[in-house]
Amino acid sequence: MNDVLTALLPTASAASGEPVLRVVKGSKIYGGVHAIEDIDFDLYAGEVHALVGENGAGKSTLCKAIAGAIKLTSGEYYVDGKPADFERPRDALAAGICMVYQETSLVPTMTAAQNIELGNEKLLTRFRTLNIQAQQLLQSLNFHIDPATPVALLGTAKKQMVEIARAVYNKARIIIFDEPTASLTPEEIVHFFNLVRDLRRRGVAIIYISHALEESLQISDRITVLRDGKLVITANTADMTREKLVRHMVGRDITHTYYARAAKEANGGAAHRARGEKVLTVENVTMGMVVKNMSFSVYAGEVVGIAGLIGSGRTEIAKVVFGALKRNLINGGTVKLRGKPVRYRVPKQAIDAGIAYVTEDRKLNGFFETMVVDDNVYIGKLATRAGWRLLLSKLMRGKLADYWVERLKISALQRKAKIVELSGGNQQKVVVAKSLVQDPSIVIFDEPTRGVDVGTIPEIHAQIRRLAEEGKAVVVISSYLPEVLSISDRILVARLGRIVAEFDAADATEDKIMYAAIH
Amino acid sequence: MTINASTAGERSQSPSLVTQLLKKPSQEQIVLLITLSLLVVFSATLAGFAHLANLLNLVRSISILGILGLGMGLIVISRGIDLSEVAIMAGSWSVALIEIQRGLPTFWAAILALVIALMIGVANGVMVAFVEAPPLFVTLAAGFVIYGAAFWYAPSWVVYAPKPEDAPYLLYLGHDYLFGIPVPIIVFALAAIGMQLFLARTSIGRFIYAQGDNPEAARLAGIPLRPLIVLEYVLVALLAWLAGLVWIGTTGSMQMGIVQGTYIFDVILVVVLGGISLVGGRGGVFSVVVGCALIGTLFNAFTIMDINSEVQNIIKGVVLLAAIVLDNWLHPRDEETARQGE
Repeated sequence: MNDVLTALLPTASAASGEPVLRVVKGSKIYGGVHAIEDIDFDLYAGEVHALVGENGAGKSTLCKAIAGAIKLTSGEYYVDGKPADFERPRDALAAGICMVYQETSLVPTMTAAQNIELGNEKLLTRFRTLNIQAQQLLQSLNFHIDPATPVALLGTAKKQMVEIARAVYNKARIIIFDEPTASLTPEEIVHFFNLVRDLRRRGVAIIYISHALEESLQISDRITVLRDGKLVITANTADMTREKLVRHMVGRDITHTYYARAAKEANGGAAHRARGEKVLTVENVTMGMVVKNMSFSVYAGEVVGIAGLIGSGRTEIAKVVFGALKRNLINGGTVKLRGKPVRYRVPKQAIDAGIAYVTEDRKLNGFFETMVVDDNVYIGKLATRAGWRLLLSKLMRGKLADYWVERLKISALQRKAKIVELSGGNQQKVVVAKSLVQDPSIVIFDEPTRGVDVGTIPEIHAQIRRLAEEGKAVVVISSYLPEVLSISDRILVARLGRIVAEFDAADATEDKIMYAAIH
Repeated sequence: MTINASTAGERSQSPSLVTQLLKKPSQEQIVLLITLSLLVVFSATLAGFAHLANLLNLVRSISILGILGLGMGLIVISRGIDLSEVAIMAGSWSVALIEIQRGLPTFWAAILALVIALMIGVANGVMVAFVEAPPLFVTLAAGFVIYGAAFWYAPSWVVYAPKPEDAPYLLYLGHDYLFGIPVPIIVFALAAIGMQLFLARTSIGRFIYAQGDNPEAARLAGIPLRPLIVLEYVLVALLAWLAGLVWIGTTGSMQMGIVQGTYIFDVILVVVLGGISLVGGRGGVFSVVVGCALIGTLFNAFTIMDINSEVQNIIKGVVLLAAIVLDNWLHPRDEETARQGE
């Protein structure tokens, strides 16, 4: 307990002595794919350490591993120079590590004070004592919150304050912030930064994840850049600029050659490929706070890439078109299919109209895990109006599966295995087949190569281009810029629910897209 | 086939698949094994157990449970549950039998019971599919409503059916023998075969498994989930009606008391026991048959050994718990949720 107390005392010496936390050669493998690989990460008391990288670069995986929410496949932890083992979230908590999540993890019906004490309740609590304690803590942090207010009544910024107060109450020495400013107003961000600086003065070590590069540059002492699960660089913020960061974030090594070649081919191909009729038009579509007045159109025979960060509304607009989400009833804008306004209540209607959507999270809603490859593909066919029949046909099922296994090069060794047992790449191919078997004229791919092994990515890209060559309209949503660049004929950039930029594939560069996508 | 980069990952996974199969047999296999060993033990130790008459009696006694179990199995596969199934059976037939006593021809009474049952099924389905209320509470509430309404319409604990001489066709299914086999057994067998064909050979059956496996994926794949859900609850009601038909033939009456008893839990017990996971999408008709076999064997042995109902209840409860623990072990949660549950 003693070291905890000293750590909580104001220390002027930042980034000196033993690091409070060190991760050596941390790796995490999900289904044969490295989410993070051989990452060395260290953190000192009284420093703000920013983690930057594109979506899927491994920031969240690393932080979950540090917070004990997942277990590293290999690697070692050292706390205060001593080896530690984070078997459970509790172990990380005991080491003084707290994670403040994007989605706040507070109990909405409880008061601020109760939430601060959550998990440390004494057997008997007097509300008055509790409130007074909480009040003292909140005041010492300069938070103006009434401890007796139910959390549900607080705004986002104040909820975050309660979470931070809880972390301090738990004697946190390391606080991980995951996109803390995503839903804050500019004034609240200023206040939040003051708070982070105050925590730093108290000697707390802070890991700061954010998409907004300016913020990371402004608040942090050191910055670590991750890319494709690997550590690119850890440097003092003073030596960093926005340009350097973007370059580190998007610069490629292993995959560079493939993507560069693919991009050239795609650009060459686009010149040959004639753009067909305007198939899909999205006009001023609005859905809640996520999609605001989004407009774009898609033509037959072209691949349209939509780049943008998580929360930019790119997935939501696809789901609105597909009927999986509902746009605002009033002033929701229009979606036109070949010039005719449409509004789908359920995905089935969109599918019958020839629209397919390949989900971004195949594990969550992409496939039926208890079924084999053949059944997954066949169900896709049965669910269409043209493919429905009451009695199953073994012949038809086999024929369809044979065709798509052959066309998408799904490993034939595993036709008999349940789909959960397949590698990520093969699972993704099955999900693609399940949609393509429905014979769509518009195909929307959402993150088509997320969690897919490097060898399979070119195969999926080749299939996407083949669809465009067959005259289908293809939309590819991806946060992986080389992917967008290499397969798109036209690139749209979404930011905060709007399309903010449009590039021809020939003029687009990663830097240009990144600048448009980051606020 | 083609050797590409992805095969490397597969090679490392295939042995784990084999060991997994060796390590974890399916729940049906485990329960079947237990049932067979119990049959052997009881045959050796209990006088009169192994006689053909007793074995037929055993199967006959679980026929109604089995028919109800087929309906419950269907709905559990789709990730739902129907706690009103026994109430549908008792309620629809109580009203029908009262109407027979008041002079309605038996055929039209049976149709009346069918219409009532199907209407309740539609109501349940609409509440779950369109109002999106949790099936547990929808059907629990439906059970109360049916019980109250039927009792109000026919205020009698036991509503007697006409004598077999007066209504031979109505009571045939529960009462008679065909080639020396009690007809309830044949009804159960036919219902099981029909359900098996429906689940395994029709697209709607596939859709039900798909829904139970992953409802959101099913919706995104274009399966019309809402009509499907309504159909599922209608089918459960249909099977409840059929079970009621067998029931009145067997007992000569319909007792509203069973709605208040633990009978519905017996139905859930045979379903879960046989390996139809509450997670959804797993198990099938064979699971219900195997579950019925084990429960039937136990009940029959209890009767021969003259074990009192309190002890029977304890054993039933323990068996249900064991089945759920087994289910959890066979279908564990994934790493992250499991760890956060600490």
